[in-house]
Formats: sequence, structure tokens, C-alpha cells
Amino acid sequence: MAAVLLASSCAATRFVPMPPEAEAHRAKTDDGWEISLTRYRPRGTPQGLPVVLVHGISANARNMDLDDQHSLARWLASQGREAWTMSVRGAGDSDGIDEAKGRKPPITFDAFWQRDLPAAIRLVREVTGAPAVDYIGHSMGGIIAYAYLAQGGREVNAAVTLGSPTRLDWGTGLETWLGSIAPKLVGADVMVPSALGAHAAAPFQSLVDDGPFQRFFYNPQSSTTQSWQRLMAYGTADVAGGVALQLLSMLDGGKFRTFDRQVDLKAAMASITTPVLVVAARLDRVALAPGVKDGYRALGGPKEWLVITRANGARGEYGHMDLVIGEHAAEEVWTPALRFLDRHAPASLTAAESPAR
Amino acid sequence: MIAVALALALATAPELTVSHRRVVTDDGASLALARYLPPGGGVARPPVLLVGELGFGRPLFDLAGEGLARWLASRGYAVYVAELRGQGAASPGGSLRAWVHLDLPAIAAVIARERTGPVDLVAHGWGGALALAAAGRELPVRRAVALNTPMEAEVPSALAERFLASGGHFSDFAGSPQGAHDFELLFAMDSEFPARTLATLRVRGTRDLSAGQAAEWLAWMRTGDLPLDDGSSVLARLRAYDRPTLLVLALGDGFAGPELCAPLRDASRAAVQLRTYSRFETGDDFSHVSMLLGTQAPSRVFPEIDRFLGAP
Repeated sequence: MAAVLLASSCAATRFVPMPPEAEAHRAKTDDGWEISLTRYRPRGTPQGLPVVLVHGISANARNMDLDDQHSLARWLASQGREAWTMSVRGAGDSDGIDEAKGRKPPITFDAFWQRDLPAAIRLVREVTGAPAVDYIGHSMGGIIAYAYLAQGGREVNAAVTLGSPTRLDWGTGLETWLGSIAPKLVGADVMVPSALGAHAAAPFQSLVDDGPFQRFFYNPQSSTTQSWQRLMAYGTADVAGGVALQLLSMLDGGKFRTFDRQVDLKAAMASITTPVLVVAARLDRVALAPGVKDGYRALGGPKEWLVITRANGARGEYGHMDLVIGEHAAEEVWTPALRFLDRHAPASLTAAESPAR
Repeated sequence: MIAVALALALATAPELTVSHRRVVTDDGASLALARYLPPGGGVARPPVLLVGELGFGRPLFDLAGEGLARWLASRGYAVYVAELRGQGAASPGGSLRAWVHLDLPAIAAVIARERTGPVDLVAHGWGGALALAAAGRELPVRRAVALNTPMEAEVPSALAERFLASGGHFSDFAGSPQGAHDFELLFAMDSEFPARTLATLRVRGTRDLSAGQAAEWLAWMRTGDLPLDDGSSVLARLRAYDRPTLLVLALGDGFAGPELCAPLRDASRAAVQLRTYSRFETGDDFSHVSMLLGTQAPSRVFPEIDRFLGAP
């Protein structure tokens, strides 16, 4: 019986190829790394600005396009919005560390917002002719937007962050472990093989009910085990030690700083005037609602706050990953996100004036 | 055999003394105060005052012989459970402001006649936030445990808004499966409870708010603050609040979300220790009422309260 379940489980984790309409692109950063992007052209009458989608930590662009039923990118395209997914350096098909080619460690979180995102936005604007982009970031992807905008980043018209915390010190047992043990085990220059662990564990997920992954990352009320298995199988990436160490500093009094600790990024978020919708999931055990709200408070505004919960009309409670792979995320999360972006569309940009396709 | 077991249990159980009294406020309202005394009277420690959520009565702390009141008393604390106007056996609810200006001073005066020194406060939910606002002013407090007490007032959800906008009738939760479902979403959120606890609390542990209380509570949420009669406000008082505090956050609290409570750590003058529960760590995210009556409350939450209050 277990063998049958395991065989079935292995089948569920098979790689689902990208759709034929997905166009592969590569952007060159100003420090010489190539960043992988995928373009999803809009269907029907084009609407608004292209939307750049950025994944979270230990993840890659496939978080935004898991399969035909769970794809924020394809859903946006179906709504007439051009979508672009990207993988940050070290993730997905983007360049990783290769000292022979001059790509040296450490990879830090700062590289994502200082190098990768500007290169991605530049490429999207060049290809589409759009004057600016809209942005949706999940988890760390939202924090990348915070840092980019806080340090004067431009050409983002409006942004949505999904489960993006700016502090992690909430008195949980996990953070005690992370704060005391992880810095001793992880060096800035190493890549933590989290993807390998996810690939190995993926086939066994359907054999475990209420296991640690389920408890931490997603809620069966909102996502299926099969979606979670697929995410583990091809939606994960190794975590750069420099990124982990930088973000773990959020455990130190909730500080959100540059890797060299010289710039207080959270304080700088007060200067952000780009409209941002901040979305939290009530039962997110990775990005706790108070940590997500901390980022909301830091923003200069205009800004809006949305909690996904049954008490606000969702059919199930959401955990961290349900925001991007949930069975009803299109209706319950992505629709309000798109409405927010539409509300903040540049006045001069009508459908007829949408960027060249 | 059963009789022998019962006799043995009674013989070995801690002999708590529970007494009840009426407290009359300066404006003539009647409040209820229950006192739980351990053997010896609990004189070695400051008395502990429990103040629960608006609309919830004493069963929040003592339901069918279980709960925080008896748990603390069995560990040597003299425990007082207050029912302020609109709660349990107290007079019908008037203004929420009366809790701060009239009810808590009256409760404090009664306790002061029996015990010297300030109380240790266990404050729960929005009602608890009113008690924190009174701490150090109308209510002498040494230290406090705040169980999901909002500092940043905000409408927590569309369902909560509908509940208060329609008058805050807790009795609506008791009469139908939909009512039970809504009560679970607002106050219990997937937490584990001993059998029948939640249903009993819903039916016997709550009371309809007055129209004025419901309207005032909703206005507090919508505007972000509750003005008080002395020219201050709840938010202004919480910013000035300075008692050592253990702030306990339940991730699954859909009525006083942890994101609304957490600012007490940074935006007040108090030294605040934070403890947050999530299902990943404890098997339960905890919710508004499961922090007090959930299956894991006696093993997870109550010992933390004891450690904090019992610390030198």
C-alpha cells in the first residue's frame, strides 16, 4: 500500500513544463550576472503596465507559474496584463556563483535589489516599451521591492507584497533556534542545499499527514498536497548564505538592514511614495501577520492592508505558500491585487495607449 | 469504588475557596467580583486580577471547574475575576469608557481593602486593552500579562465588523450552525478545545452587548482610538503605559489579531516580553479564547503566565 502511495506521489511531483507561450529572456546586471526572466503576453485586449513577479527565499520563478491551474503569471495574462517572472541570482535559470567566470560569493539580499531587479525592470521596459512596471512580490520578493523603492528605485508604478515580513522577532521557539544556531552553521559564501532537501522530501509529502512542512508552509484548507509537492520538486532553490544571514538580522530587534549593516532599510521605507498593497495571511507561520504589518507601517504611502482569512470571505485559511499556489488564490488573493494595481494605473495609460506588445 | 475514588480525589485536591461579591460603582452600577483563594490565602504574592474580553463573562477564566483562575489559585495566587458592566452578572453595558473611569477603580478599591499593594493584571483582548489603559492610574498594577490586547485599533475582519454593526448580539452565535461557525471564525479559529468547551462558552459564557457598547467598540476600531472622559484616549494611555508586561500573541486570533497587539512592544514605554504561538511549534496557532480555554492552554500558556508573574 505504501509503495502504491509512494509511486503515485512520485508521479505527482513530475516536472510540468512551461507553457509554449512563455518566452525566455535574459537580463544582464551591471555586475555581469545574467538573470532569467519569462514573458507571458496578455490575452485579449492588453490592459495596463506589465507586471514583474518576484519569488521568495529558497524559491525560483516557477512559484509564479507552477502549472496551468496554479499560475499567477498566466492568470494575469488571462486578465490582459502582461506578466514577467524572474529568478534572482543563484535561483532557477539565473546565473549562480562561478568564480571562474568572475561571479564570486557572497550572494547577498542587497544584490537582488541593487543589481537583479534594476536589470529586470530595464529589460522589461526595453522589450515592451512600457514607461514603468507594476510589481508583485511574494515573501522575500516583496521585501526586495521595499529595499529597492526605499533606496530610490524607480520605474515601479505600484506594488503588491504577499506575506513579506520586515521583522522576525516574535518570541517563537523557532526563532530562538534560528538566531542562535543558524549563524554558527551558515557562512556567507556557502549555498545552503535547501533545494536538494526539498527534492528528496517531495515524493513523501502525501504519506505524511500534518507533517512539519504542512504545518510551516501551507494550509491544506487552501492548497493541495500535489501542488505543494510540485513546488518542492521544481519550485525551490538553494539559499545563499549571505542572503540567509542578512535576513536573519531581522531577528535582532527586528532590524532590516543592508548586509554591511550600514543602512537602515526599514527607516528608509518611510520615503516610499509608490502605492503598495500589503497582503498577509492569517495563518502564515513563516511571515507572521505582525511581521508583515511591520512592513506596512514602515511604508510612506499610499498603502493598503489586506488580511486573507475566512472572516474576510476566503474559503479556507491561508499559510505562507497558499498565497501563490492556493486553489482559490486567483479569486481571493490575486484579484484584489490586480484591482489595486488597476486603481493605481497611470492616468495617462489607457488600454489604447498600453505599451507596444 | 467510584465513591472511594471521588473521596480520594476530594481529599487530595487543593482546597480552593471561591467567594463572590457585588461591587457597586460611583454611578450605581453593579459589578461582580469572584475571588479564588488557595490554602493559606495566597498572601505571599501580589493578587492577580483577571479582566476578560468585552461580552465574555467569568467562564472565560473558569468554565466547568477548568481555567486560568483555578489554575493560578492552585499554584498559590489569590485570584480575582472581575465582571465589569456588560459582562456576566454585572449591570448592562453602558459606555466602554466607564470601564476605565468607574468600574476598574471600584474593583481596585475592593481588592485594596483585602490586599496591600498593586495587583498583577492578566488582561485579555479589547477589554484587556481598557484595563491596560487604566493601569498605573485608576488601577494600581505591578506587572501585567497581556493576552492579545490590541494597541492599534482596527476592524479585524469583515465578519467582526458585521457582528458589531448589527449590535454585538452574542446570542446570535448560539442559535444556529451558522452562528457556531461564525463564533469559531472570530474567536476560536481551528484551535483545539476539550469536548463541549467551545459550545458551552458560546452559550453560557457570553452576553449580548448593549447597542451603545457595540457602537462604541466599532467606532474604536474604525477610528483607531477611543477617547476617554479625562481628555486622554486609550491609544494615548497605551503609549504612556509603562508596566513590565508579558505580551502573548495567538497567531490564529481573528478578533484581536497579533498585528494589532504587537505595537505595545515598541510604541509604549513598557518593557515588553513577547511570546507567540504557532502551529508549527506547538501544534496549535491559538486563538482569541483558546489561549484561556484551549486544550493546550494549561500546558503552554498558563505556565508562561506563572513564570512571568512569579519572577522576582
